[in-house]
Amino acid sequence: MTRAHSFGLVWPYLAAAALGYLLGSVAVPVLAALSGGGSNTPHARVGFVLREDPHAPSPEWTALDTDLQAVRAPLAAPQRDVFDLVVAVRGLDNGGNSDWSRAEQICRALTWPRCDRDALSQLKELSRP
Amino acid sequence: MSSTLAKRALGPLSILVLALLLGYARANGPRARFAQAIAALSDTERTALGAGPGIAIANAIWALGSEDAVRQMLRSELDSLPETEGSARARVFVRFGIIDSNPDGQAAVFFQACASDPSLCDRARLITAAERETHARLVEPGQHLPLYLLSGHPPLP
Repeated sequence: MTRAHSFGLVWPYLAAAALGYLLGSVAVPVLAALSGGGSNTPHARVGFVLREDPHAPSPEWTALDTDLQAVRAPLAAPQRDVFDLVVAVRGLDNGGNSDWSRAEQICRALTWPRCDRDALSQLKELSRP
Repeated sequence: MSSTLAKRALGPLSILVLALLLGYARANGPRARFAQAIAALSDTERTALGAGPGIAIANAIWALGSEDAVRQMLRSELDSLPETEGSARARVFVRFGIIDSNPDGQAAVFFQACASDPSLCDRARLITAAERETHARLVEPGQHLPLYLLSGHPPLP
């Protein structure tokens, strides 16, 4: 059996695997989102996580990155910075682990009256919708 | 002829379906769990979720923001909230009343809170709502109930 003949036997399988993976990871979710109406949007998913208990993060939070970008993009300053602050204290982009130094940095850039750790810890709970 | 073709297509077709399922699961496993959790909510709750990020931003500004930041945020909320969102608008008016230092201004704003959400026309409920907001504010002004709610409008000279 020649190499060309082997390739002729294998390529339909390779092409099917590549096409299937591409359809599964890109096309099917797009179609599902289009048919699912407006309730399962990036805003809704981020809103859902924000509503959850900040001290009990769930594994789903790791899937939020693109949703956070989608919510953040249309925001203008200073709302965008405040959103970044909420993301940092809630650890939405870090599996629920708060990034206190980034939060303090953003808070100071906003020139808010209090940016101490105690205040930012309370913000974790107080920012819940 | 067609049976041979079908036999030859069966293998790649099975691979295509398996790869499709694998791609979908890898890319959307966590999102599918989100979708299920969101689908389990009531229609009202699902609709409210979309406003969550905006409310979180407003709550953060209310908790720690400077007076200017709070005023700017409250004005922007009032511009964007429709009249139908009575309780949300009332909450904004209550926050406005708390940071307003003028008793006349406080009276006008609390009256608007009552007009937006009739349950707040009851003074005890209005005070409870205002207390909730003062507890959620970590900096001055706005950490204490305004004079108008504590003792009514001060006597005119």
